[in-house]
Amino acid sequence: MKILTTVKKVVDVELNIHVENGAIVEKGLQYVINAWDENAVEAAVQLKEAHKAETTLVSLGSTDNTDIIRKCYAMGIDNAIHIDDPALAEADSPTFARVLQKVYEAGDYDLVIAGKQAQDTDAGQAGIMLGEFLGIPCVSNVIEIKVTDDTHIQVSRLGDAGTEIVDVTLPAVVTVSDSINEPRLPAMRGIMMAKKKKITVMDLAGLGTSFEEIGGTAPASAVVEFMPVQKRKGGQKFEGDPAEITAQVVQLLVNEAKVL
Amino acid sequence: MTNILVVADIKQGVLKGSTAELLSKAKELGAATAAVAVGSNVTDLAPQLAAAGSDTQYIADDPSLEIFSAAPFAAAVADAAKAFNADMVWFGFSETGKAAAPRVAVQLEAACATEIIDVAIDGDVVHITRPAIANKVLQKMKINAPKLVAVVRAGAFEADPEVTGTENVVTLDPPEKDMAAAVKELISDASGEIDLADADIVVSVGRGAKDQAGVDLVKDLADDLAAGFGSSRAMVDAGLMAHNKQVGQTGKIVAPSLYVAVGISGAIQHLAGMNGAKVILAVNKDPEAPIFNVADFGIVGNLFDVIPLLKEEIKKIRA
Amino acid sequence: MSPLLMTVLLAVGLGFFARTMYQRILLLTSLEPADRFNRIKDRLKNLVIIAFGQKRLVGRKKERASGIMHAFIFWGFCILLIRSLTLYGHGYVEGFQLPLLGESSFLGYLYLALKDVTEAVVLIMVIYAFYRRLVVRPTRLHNTWEAYLVLALIGVLMVSDLLFDGARFMLITAHGNPADLHYFNNPTFGQEFFWTPVTVAAGHVISGFSAVGLERVMVLMFWVHVITQLIFLNILPFGKHFHVITSLPNVFFKSLDYPHEKIKLLDLEDESVWEDETLGVNHLHQLNWKQGLDLYTCTECGRCKEVCPTYVTDKPLNLHDFNDTLKAELYANADNLILRAKLAGNLTGDAEADAKTKEKMAVFKPEKALVGEVIALDTLWACTTCRACEQVCPVTIEQVPRIIAMRQGQTLMQGEYPEELNTAFKGLERNGNPWGIGYDKRADWAEGLDVKLMADDPNVEYLLWVGCAGSFDDRTQKVSKALVKILKAAGVDFAILGTEEKCTGDFARRAGNEMMYQMMATENIETLNNYKVKKIIAACPHCLNTLKHDYPQMGGHYEVIHHTDFINQLIADGKIRVKKSLGGALTYHDPCYLGRYNGIYDAPRSILAGMSNHGLSELPRHGTESFCCGAGGGRMWMEETIGTRINVERSREIVDEKAETVAVGCPFCLTMIEDGMKELDKDEQVKTRDIAELVAEHLA
Repeated sequence: MKILTTVKKVVDVELNIHVENGAIVEKGLQYVINAWDENAVEAAVQLKEAHKAETTLVSLGSTDNTDIIRKCYAMGIDNAIHIDDPALAEADSPTFARVLQKVYEAGDYDLVIAGKQAQDTDAGQAGIMLGEFLGIPCVSNVIEIKVTDDTHIQVSRLGDAGTEIVDVTLPAVVTVSDSINEPRLPAMRGIMMAKKKKITVMDLAGLGTSFEEIGGTAPASAVVEFMPVQKRKGGQKFEGDPAEITAQVVQLLVNEAKVL
Repeated sequence: MTNILVVADIKQGVLKGSTAELLSKAKELGAATAAVAVGSNVTDLAPQLAAAGSDTQYIADDPSLEIFSAAPFAAAVADAAKAFNADMVWFGFSETGKAAAPRVAVQLEAACATEIIDVAIDGDVVHITRPAIANKVLQKMKINAPKLVAVVRAGAFEADPEVTGTENVVTLDPPEKDMAAAVKELISDASGEIDLADADIVVSVGRGAKDQAGVDLVKDLADDLAAGFGSSRAMVDAGLMAHNKQVGQTGKIVAPSLYVAVGISGAIQHLAGMNGAKVILAVNKDPEAPIFNVADFGIVGNLFDVIPLLKEEIKKIRA
Repeated sequence: MSPLLMTVLLAVGLGFFARTMYQRILLLTSLEPADRFNRIKDRLKNLVIIAFGQKRLVGRKKERASGIMHAFIFWGFCILLIRSLTLYGHGYVEGFQLPLLGESSFLGYLYLALKDVTEAVVLIMVIYAFYRRLVVRPTRLHNTWEAYLVLALIGVLMVSDLLFDGARFMLITAHGNPADLHYFNNPTFGQEFFWTPVTVAAGHVISGFSAVGLERVMVLMFWVHVITQLIFLNILPFGKHFHVITSLPNVFFKSLDYPHEKIKLLDLEDESVWEDETLGVNHLHQLNWKQGLDLYTCTECGRCKEVCPTYVTDKPLNLHDFNDTLKAELYANADNLILRAKLAGNLTGDAEADAKTKEKMAVFKPEKALVGEVIALDTLWACTTCRACEQVCPVTIEQVPRIIAMRQGQTLMQGEYPEELNTAFKGLERNGNPWGIGYDKRADWAEGLDVKLMADDPNVEYLLWVGCAGSFDDRTQKVSKALVKILKAAGVDFAILGTEEKCTGDFARRAGNEMMYQMMATENIETLNNYKVKKIIAACPHCLNTLKHDYPQMGGHYEVIHHTDFINQLIADGKIRVKKSLGGALTYHDPCYLGRYNGIYDAPRSILAGMSNHGLSELPRHGTESFCCGAGGGRMWMEETIGTRINVERSREIVDEKAETVAVGCPFCLTMIEDGMKELDKDEQVKTRDIAELVAEHLA
């Protein structure tokens, strides 16, 4: 079985994000592997270990992703492709999906495993759109993958009414939830060995396409500006006789906040 | 005139509140509205969909649609959108919406935006606002494509009880079953307990409650308020609360109208799970507890004294 | 007596012994090298004080009686060793005398008296020892047949020598010396037996025998003594009494200065270490010879168990079992280890040529996995690295470095370590703190306090190293603020690194994760050296320890002082004054990394004494024998799932002491003990405070 898994480098969401003049302040920011993509890589490696699958990683972006790719190598990925093109800095979800489509079509994959959303956009679209573009089945928010045979897998999906058990015919796309696994911290040995592994790097032209062809120059939607979120501030704190202050607060909840 | 199609949010045969919220907003924007219900035994919901504010109700009712399957669901919605000539298709915030919206967008050659909190139509220019980077910033986006498929964040719009529509049912042919991703079974999680993610009021218990007696006391309060009952990490680790009750960064993220934090200190990880609540009430005996930095109302006191008093006060106002 | 018999006995006895010792030493040489031959003078000093002086037995208040008992047996052995030589000589020549201790010298007589008293004392001590084992039955002791056998042998040695001399006494004084036995009879010093009252008493015990009978007794007791001694000598290397021979070298070769030898800096870039699995201790042969000697020397006394916080709370870390198990494994694989070492001698460094040798070497691998099968994982990870075991061990065995080396093997080579550490390691890597909180928030605690950043003014006198807890933990931030208040009141010129500070990497190192530790250290040292930092005040003993003792290995040389030490100096210099206004019963909990690792016991006490109007009471387990809070060794970040909780155990001790305030000097201790109090529901009655907080509250 041949598995393609995708990773994106995103801003570390642990940090404070500052907005100035409608744009994000870059200074002091650090970038890490998208958390859900880590789950996807872990899922791919687990399938490799259990079913001798061959795993390929594709990383998309406009920066040097060597560090996160090396980490994925250390986790157990077999091959890595990095699509590095400055144009991708302006890409939106459908555009990313198109690039993935090109990568998929250039190879021979049975299963694509992607994280369900990226921590910078929280869009959650690219994986599902990839399925639509390729015309192959896609199941999102997956929490378990079981291989039935060479051409079928069974997945469990976390839906609104409960857990759905779905029989999927390969080739297919699966987007995973963080509940699917706990990504391993790569073993030290893996990290050292990963330094020697090769990464295939190419830009969009190398992939045989162009930003225009994949629709990047005419995006369906575009960010106009960023705005800060109103920070939550503390309100009124009451100390004193419990009966008195409780009564006071309840009155406020009813009359002022109108939540009771 | 913009045509907005709202996808009905149905759980266990019940129409959820988000449908009315979306329809109210659509009407507020001056759009022509329609609703689409996809599922099994959903035809009876048509009058409710009309009352909620839709002027046309598209129904795709078939036993094969009982358990959610993304491809047929999206196909049915796309059919309705084409029939209605929809400019926008809106989903309520649900796994269904998140799974179907991107597909519908591709099929309609529309733009797709998830978790939007606002829509503005200015002539023929549409802007949406949505959170990004783990809710740390907001981004305003211009929709270039002629159509938009959106998933709306929970509680983003308010339902206007004055808003109403007309009954006008259009039956759709049931979509084809998805043989390539065939749903075999649904393991329901209906436990009778109020789902934390849906609840309007959530009461959570923390380490200050100490033991089972304390937990029971706080649960009593939650029951009195018909609220969802959640927990901080400490109580889950102590084995006093179930894992799926944990509110926090690594647990559930909730955004109720009222969040009552009892005996919870307010560590960053917990705050990440509940600071989207409209109003936060905190009860803690430590006046320096960080929770008071985000609580709208804070009661400094021993919860074993305060909770019974709270229950009494609530009984009074409910009477 | 009988030169022939004596020769045969000596040849056989000493011959066997030499052979056994040869094998034991050969086994040690097959282990990794260790440089313990430096600074001979300091080593001799340790030998005198700890080994000969029996410092850890006699000098320890607890169980002093048994300590004295052993000391006398030991000193007795030393003194009587000389007697043995005389007796061997006597086997060849009747009346053999050693030079300098002969009849003509005062020393000779003195020695006779000394020997006499010593034999009596040793005999009494042996009887006391029997009593302890049979009646008192201290829990820390293993009551094995070996223990009783050895005590019995010692008893036999004493009795046989006394009866030998007693018989001589009777024959010479009461029966007119028919065999013309030699005895000391110097005109100046008198007859030998005036100097040996115990022998006289022994003689009276057998006075009922006839002359012939007495002669038989004398000859019998002589050979019984010699044979028993040779038997004793030969069984020593086979059990826990090997310590009789190895404890002196073990103390001589012990680590100098800093509690124990610094952890070796591993070269992670060297590919061969990954292939040969030489990172940390994964296999028996990777122990070094000193560690092997440690295993030989464990006397199974159990003092380590008694003070170990994990053992006391029912976790599977039983140190003398640990030692015993490894020793047994070492012996079981002795032949293989020796053969393997021999082959290793043929390695040339050339990969191709060595490949065959390495293949042969692999044949001699022990069957059982060192960690996992010989030593259980729970055992290895339970340790908090508190060093209480090393503090009380009478023969200075170094347990902690061995545990950390085995953890290194697990973490680096096997990738096996408690899962809960994952989050902490990840946090360290991404944001420089084990909680994984955004690094950009590290200086938020100092907002509004007007604290200088190194980036703004690198020419300050002191760098205040805040630490991760002090920066991010709500409770500990209060300590940081208090410390700032004190430093400002004293007019100290200081700055903090703010968001440039990263975790020192202490817990990563103690968990065996050298890679993470080196990453943190490299980054921190670069930052510190760029600012040309000279003096650092550390608010956390773990930071103190790592900055002071570990960083020099990687090029970081700074003067590091703990905040309690610094505050004490400020008070002594009159830069700040404290009021004696701290009321209520007060006690102090010595943090392990402040006390046992860095020898700071007095400064905190001095500060507290100056503030308390009620007086400072000491906890039962205080000072060098303070009881760990349970957070060291990376355990702060792990779940405690086995046995009872260490922090609750310590909190209970504090509650029993009826303290109203317990002062600490470490953020881990602060958290653990405060949590312990909450769990015992005593957090209202007992306040846990850092010394900085108390000083800030009571500034004059």
